[in-house]
Amino acid sequence: MTTSRRDFLRHSAQLGAALGVAPAILAACGGDDETSTTAGPIADGLEPEAGPLRIVNYADYINPDVIVDFETKYGVKVEVSSITTDTESVTKLASGALKVDLNHSMSTTSVGNLIAGGLLQPLNKSYIPNLANVVPAYADPWYDKGGVYTVPYTYFGTGIGYRADRIDPAQVEEWGWDTLWNATDFKGQVSVLDDEREALVMAMLRRGLTDVNTTDKAVIDTALADLLELLDLVNVKVNIEGYKDIPEGTTTVAHTWSADMITGAAGYMPEGTDPSVLGFWHPPAGKYLVSNDSMGVMANAEHPVLAHLWINHITDNAVAEKNFSWVGYLPVITKLDADYVIGAGLVPENLRNCVPTADEIAQGLFLRPLDPDGIALYEQAWSTFRAG
Amino acid sequence: MADSRRPRTSWAPFALPGVGWLVAFFVLSVYAVVAVALGSTDPLLRTARPAWNPADWDTTALTKVISRVVGGDLGHVVTRTFGFVALALVGCVLIGYPVAYYAARGAHRGRKILLIALVLPFWISYLMRMMAWTNLLQPDGYVNKVLEVLHLQSEPRNWLDGDWYTVVIGLVYGYVPFFILPLYSVLERLDGRLLEAGRDLGATARQTFWHVTVPLSRPGLMAASVITILPMFGDYYTNTYLTSGSPRTEMIGNQIEFYLRGSSQPQTGASLVLVLMVMLFALMAYYLVTTAREQRMAR
Repeated sequence: MTTSRRDFLRHSAQLGAALGVAPAILAACGGDDETSTTAGPIADGLEPEAGPLRIVNYADYINPDVIVDFETKYGVKVEVSSITTDTESVTKLASGALKVDLNHSMSTTSVGNLIAGGLLQPLNKSYIPNLANVVPAYADPWYDKGGVYTVPYTYFGTGIGYRADRIDPAQVEEWGWDTLWNATDFKGQVSVLDDEREALVMAMLRRGLTDVNTTDKAVIDTALADLLELLDLVNVKVNIEGYKDIPEGTTTVAHTWSADMITGAAGYMPEGTDPSVLGFWHPPAGKYLVSNDSMGVMANAEHPVLAHLWINHITDNAVAEKNFSWVGYLPVITKLDADYVIGAGLVPENLRNCVPTADEIAQGLFLRPLDPDGIALYEQAWSTFRAG
Repeated sequence: MADSRRPRTSWAPFALPGVGWLVAFFVLSVYAVVAVALGSTDPLLRTARPAWNPADWDTTALTKVISRVVGGDLGHVVTRTFGFVALALVGCVLIGYPVAYYAARGAHRGRKILLIALVLPFWISYLMRMMAWTNLLQPDGYVNKVLEVLHLQSEPRNWLDGDWYTVVIGLVYGYVPFFILPLYSVLERLDGRLLEAGRDLGATARQTFWHVTVPLSRPGLMAASVITILPMFGDYYTNTYLTSGSPRTEMIGNQIEFYLRGSSQPQTGASLVLVLMVMLFALMAYYLVTTAREQRMAR
């Protein structure tokens, strides 16, 4: 995975904030239905267009071989436009600067507002029989009730990645989030995610708070004070490099995404170092922050049939596995559960808990869009923390 | 009368491209920053909505930034930035002056090779060079290996764990070529007869250096310093790469980058740019006044 993908994750909360007010604004502008769009789903049984299929996505977030397979199967070209952040994607799509058929990796914090903004069209699921392969927990996601407009692409959770050869996994299990504060033997080798929502919410979860979308200034200030303690205690670093820093050993304990550990095990282990040295801890179901990316067909798509067929292609069990082996982020496919991906050698046994379970998803905590004042509180606190 | 005898060729049109460039890429750019700083935010996308008309300017964000910089939570970021830049400048002088002096006055046959070597770093992207350093400074990197071979340390250390001196070393490494070249151009043009006069009047080599060479090279030192420190003040990637984003090494450029690229408050980022510009303008004013005074004295 590339930095671009991680930049997206870093900025997704911001976009959520940006679009959090969309329904109200659209209503103020004359919209009378928050979830209405200008067009209905395409008709059944249409022939695929001649192409090309145009996709917007993050760099290196689709296996090139999977693209070639689709091109061969349907005799069309696939053109992928790369963007760096969710904000960039939405800004370009909304302004018309970028015109594509398929938005491949929307964050959960932006999907609802893209729907409200009329940028997505309802899916005709007759073209996507492979929807049956998708994890059932995502059939009715909170950001798109009934899964009318979107199909989930990848999923992951937020926890602590660590080097199990340096710190006892049992100790991490006992300490939980306190591991970051207690890792005083590893000064300069501890990091938190460079994402204001993720980091401040982590500090809240440490205190047992589970309202991860709070805009209570007192709560945010307390979380900030807790994060500031990390400066003296462990000389904390702020980045999204856990996927390589932990395998390479420059970081011992990191607040990170579960997918980063899978990616690190697959592609960033130094020669002679076994992936078994990696460990991941996450809070129990009900306190576990779970995220996912989603695909949707643009309302103004010129090749909507191809876009539907692509979604069907990428949710095929074999294609999803092939894609995962290259991308490193786990597809939301039932077959690719922990037992399967471990058995197939795609994920080491010691990282089994990097694959969210159905129960963890069902009880998951989700970062939802905030109003501008709320996100401003997080940003100011984050700026203060970053200032050291 | 004297003017009437000059050729009537007007040179003014030749300045037009430069003036156009300046207007397009400096004056308008600065005005755009002002318009963003004193503008608002798009309520839907939270992107900047610049206030091009001064009648629409809103100073809320700028006032807040100033209060945060002066005695607020951003005060120590500014102090730290000035500290890093000052230390890096000292490093540039200590390393750059001898090199520039040798290239200008000592090296004869090897001068061209030395000059090529000085320009070589410009062939490689600054970011690439910093990324290379992250490998060299790893616990198992060559820096540690060399230090251990020389018995300067017994155990490998992690240079990338967020220490200030790693950032200063990185800044010196990254910017010292910018320091050497302008200084070289001044030292190379020093009038050798003045140095000989110093020696003829009984000064030792050291006295001649301190009382003749250094004062004469002051314009070069000033120019080299300005050229070096201006980009250093806006630097945000050296510390990001070399300390993996440690808040202990955060510079003002990092805050600007955060607010402009990673937040929903672009006015705050633009306001920080304006605050930094005012600070740098004060330094530039000192440079310009000093230079003008020296030119008057030279006449």
